[in-house]
Amino acid sequence: MRKTLLFMIGLGATGCAHHPAPTEQVATSLSAVRGAEEAGANDVPEAALHVKLAQEQLDLAKKLMEDEYNARAEDKALRANQDAELALAIARQSASRRELDKFASSEPASGGERPATPPAGGMTP
Amino acid sequence: MRRPNHPRTPRKNGMNAFPLKASTAVLSLLVGAGCAHAPPKELADARTAYKQAADGMAARENPAQLHVAHNALGVAEQSLEQDGDSEHTRDLAYIALRTAQRAEVEANTMSNQKELARLEADKKQSDGRELKSLRTQVDVQQQQLSTSEAGRRESEQRATQMSADLARIATVKQEARGVVITLSGEVLFASGKAELLPAAQAKLNEVASALTQQNPSATIVVEGHTDRRGSEALNLDLSARRAEAVRTYLTAHGVPSERIRAEGFGFSRPLGDNKTAEGRANNRRVEIVVNRQGERPGG
Repeated sequence: MRKTLLFMIGLGATGCAHHPAPTEQVATSLSAVRGAEEAGANDVPEAALHVKLAQEQLDLAKKLMEDEYNARAEDKALRANQDAELALAIARQSASRRELDKFASSEPASGGERPATPPAGGMTP
Repeated sequence: MRRPNHPRTPRKNGMNAFPLKASTAVLSLLVGAGCAHAPPKELADARTAYKQAADGMAARENPAQLHVAHNALGVAEQSLEQDGDSEHTRDLAYIALRTAQRAEVEANTMSNQKELARLEADKKQSDGRELKSLRTQVDVQQQQLSTSEAGRRESEQRATQMSADLARIATVKQEARGVVITLSGEVLFASGKAELLPAAQAKLNEVASALTQQNPSATIVVEGHTDRRGSEALNLDLSARRAEAVRTYLTAHGVPSERIRAEGFGFSRPLGDNKTAEGRANNRRVEIVVNRQGERPGG
């Protein structure tokens, strides 16, 4: 019984040791965060929120990695990556909407054959 | 897209991609018939986000990312089935949620870009039509201007040419009453006579030639003038007959008769002093006054 318990504790202590440290995934996610920031994500409130979420999860992933919870760290790094990619997509959507609005405001109202389509945007929170 | 999407797999079986049919079946089972594990909030949100994306423009504009979202949701569903409401399942569901949201956002961006491209193309086409129309108008106006300008230049050239031609045989002046061509009476007539001298005919031929090249609507008055020698009546008659002689000659040489008339003024309008020979010579003259259209010759 005692041997079994020690074995279980041993397994628990080294439970994540066999999972490789997700250094590459963390680096990829960090790069995605920077990419989103460079695309102006911090200027769009909705995108800035996802940048912040990504950074928080990246910090958590690094902390988990230090503690050798590598599998969990990888999950958090992946979450961070998805938030960063979403922030980038939202920033680009915002830019495309601005361009469309700018074009529409620079053009006099016309009785064209096709009515102008309202800009696409918005997202389920 | 910055990196390929690799939805995290359930940790136990390590599947890389969740088959579409399998995921649909799992979804149906979980949603429709209930399941052993209650889905975490993250997974419920992911299902909703995926449905919204699939029902929206992502299916048309961004099917590739929608497919990735579908797979990610399937992986999360499978994890729920195998791991239950674990942290890993929630992480996978979170990833599925973001993937679906991204599919929708990217579809919106694509739609905006297409709309912008369409508007720009429409504007370009419209601008092209307007430009073409403007160019046509400008061309027409330039043509009209050119025609008008050419006509004006031609008229000016004719007048200049006429003045130059006449200047060789007579005095030409521009006065308020029109262009005044003055021919010396000595050249045209013998003393006291109203018959043109042979030498006068050559000069009058040139005058007639110049007058026929003038504006066809201009009117012409031939005025006869004498010096003060002799009675007023005699001079009046003589000046009238001399003017008429010139008018007759000019109409015979191409100047339309309806445009030209003759008038005698005797010695009433002297140019020089009648006490001197030179003054009297200047007073004996015939003046041909060419008026512009619509203007009556001065008396």
